[in-house]
Amino acid sequence: MLETRGLTKNFGGLRAINDINLTVTAGEILGIIGPNGAGKTTLFNLITGFLQPTGGEVLFEGKNIAGNKPHTIAELGVARTFQLDRIFHDFTVLQNVVVASRLHAGIGFWEAIFNTSGYRRKHVNTWDYALKILQFIGLDDKKDELARNLAHGHQKMLGMAIALAANPKLLLLDEPFAGMNPRELDAALELVRAIRAGGKSIMLIEHNMRAVMNVCDRIVVLNFGTEVARGSPEKVRQNTDVIQCYLGVGKRAA
Amino acid sequence: MKSDRILRYLAPILLFILLPLFLQGNQYYLHIFIICGINVILASSLRAITTTGQVSLGHGGFMCIGAYTSAVLTMKFGFPVYGAFFMGGLVAIAVAAAIAYPITRVKTVYFAMLTLFLGIVIMLIALEWRDMTGGSYGILDIPPLGTISIPGLFTIDFSTKFPHCYFILFLALLILLFLYRIERSYLGMTLKSIAQDEFLAASIGTNVANFKAIIFCVGCFCAGLAGSFYAHYNSVLTPGTFDIFSSIYIIVHVIVGGGKKFSGAIIGALVLTVVPEIFRVVKEFQPFVFVGVLFLVIFFLPEGLAGLPERVRAEIKRISKGRAQNNA
Repeated sequence: MLETRGLTKNFGGLRAINDINLTVTAGEILGIIGPNGAGKTTLFNLITGFLQPTGGEVLFEGKNIAGNKPHTIAELGVARTFQLDRIFHDFTVLQNVVVASRLHAGIGFWEAIFNTSGYRRKHVNTWDYALKILQFIGLDDKKDELARNLAHGHQKMLGMAIALAANPKLLLLDEPFAGMNPRELDAALELVRAIRAGGKSIMLIEHNMRAVMNVCDRIVVLNFGTEVARGSPEKVRQNTDVIQCYLGVGKRAA
Repeated sequence: MKSDRILRYLAPILLFILLPLFLQGNQYYLHIFIICGINVILASSLRAITTTGQVSLGHGGFMCIGAYTSAVLTMKFGFPVYGAFFMGGLVAIAVAAAIAYPITRVKTVYFAMLTLFLGIVIMLIALEWRDMTGGSYGILDIPPLGTISIPGLFTIDFSTKFPHCYFILFLALLILLFLYRIERSYLGMTLKSIAQDEFLAASIGTNVANFKAIIFCVGCFCAGLAGSFYAHYNSVLTPGTFDIFSSIYIIVHVIVGGGKKFSGAIIGALVLTVVPEIFRVVKEFQPFVFVGVLFLVIFFLPEGLAGLPERVRAEIKRISKGRAQNNA
């Protein structure tokens, strides 16, 4: 479904991402882990078009999307969440999701201006669609609250709802579980599995190892922009290179 | 609910339809009514642009384009007045579209700077392209809007101020309806989402630059039409009318009225057109009056005049609540 070939990004003299080759197969949850500054978010930004790669390709469903604009990539079916809780703070929860449903709705400029019957129908459909997504996420009881007034955990969930509303085939989650309490975490893990069960593929960046090991099918470990290891959670857990990149290389070991 | 809405929208419209009838005897009042109409169009169209989070400092420039286009086309190229009138809007939108690509890709201060200089450049062109615009002497004797007549029904002759009142009222209502549809539709929502978080908007498939460009063009088109009307109404055009203050006053109208609400720009334009006229004796101090009003609003009414009713309601609630607590 998604494949990167030799993906590379330089920031000036710094090689933030170095020759990354990874694949996400349909219906898979792929975890991306690594220490701070390993290039995980940069990788997401490259895939979703927020950054232009210095070299290499990003193939989505066989088509090279590297260098496309973010909105084009979203239209193709790749949505993402952000590490910082990016939501539309001045909208209500429902409005947040409705505005993200525009792709799904396919509303044109002039029909909106002239308030055609087609527009009104699509408009109603969109609100229903958004409400369904909120029900799925479990925020429907907060739908009329201003997004800025939500608790942190709920804002994270809303971010996920916004990305889902764009109706992606591949969903990129950037630290979706950060700062959640154990109860919120369990619900969020359940949700990620449910999203996958709905036929979407997921890539997720996370520092919470329990969550990553719990939910991911496969894991790719990055350090200094380079792939250190990959494989099933068990395999990665036992990999000495991975342990070293997190804990450093001891004198004795060296 | 429904009757409430009718009252809220239709009552003010009806008031403005009837108002010129009462003002008919006084040419000066009619003039203020007309200027109010022009300013409402300018402020509302600028507000539409600001919904994406960008403040254009060159809005007066687009009014200038509309005014000069319409005047020059009728006087030098023999265009019919209404054709030229519409061309004023079209040329404004064409200029807006031509520069939209680069300028909607920069943000905040950079956008403000670019539009500021754009407004100045447009005015300088009006000043220096003497063959066309008459330079600093301006254009005199611009023909008024042509007579509209439907045989057997009515004839509107634009030789006095009175019919101009209804023309600008009609134009303003049309433009407001158009802008209101944008505001209340999906488009308005998308524009507001861009103002809140461009990256998030892009991540859900919004072509941010395109939306910004579209609303910029729409706003400039409206300003162009307002300019066209001004040219034919005033019959005299000088570049000085479109100096930087013309743009800044429009922004002040929006801020004082309250840019968050659709009604804000309308209220701001009306109040700030009428109130300085009341203090006409101190006309030369008008900038000071503006600054004073601006300061008061920014500090005491951050939501603008349009937020005043809500503010008052909240205050009353707070006070009555406090009283209830004291009694208990």
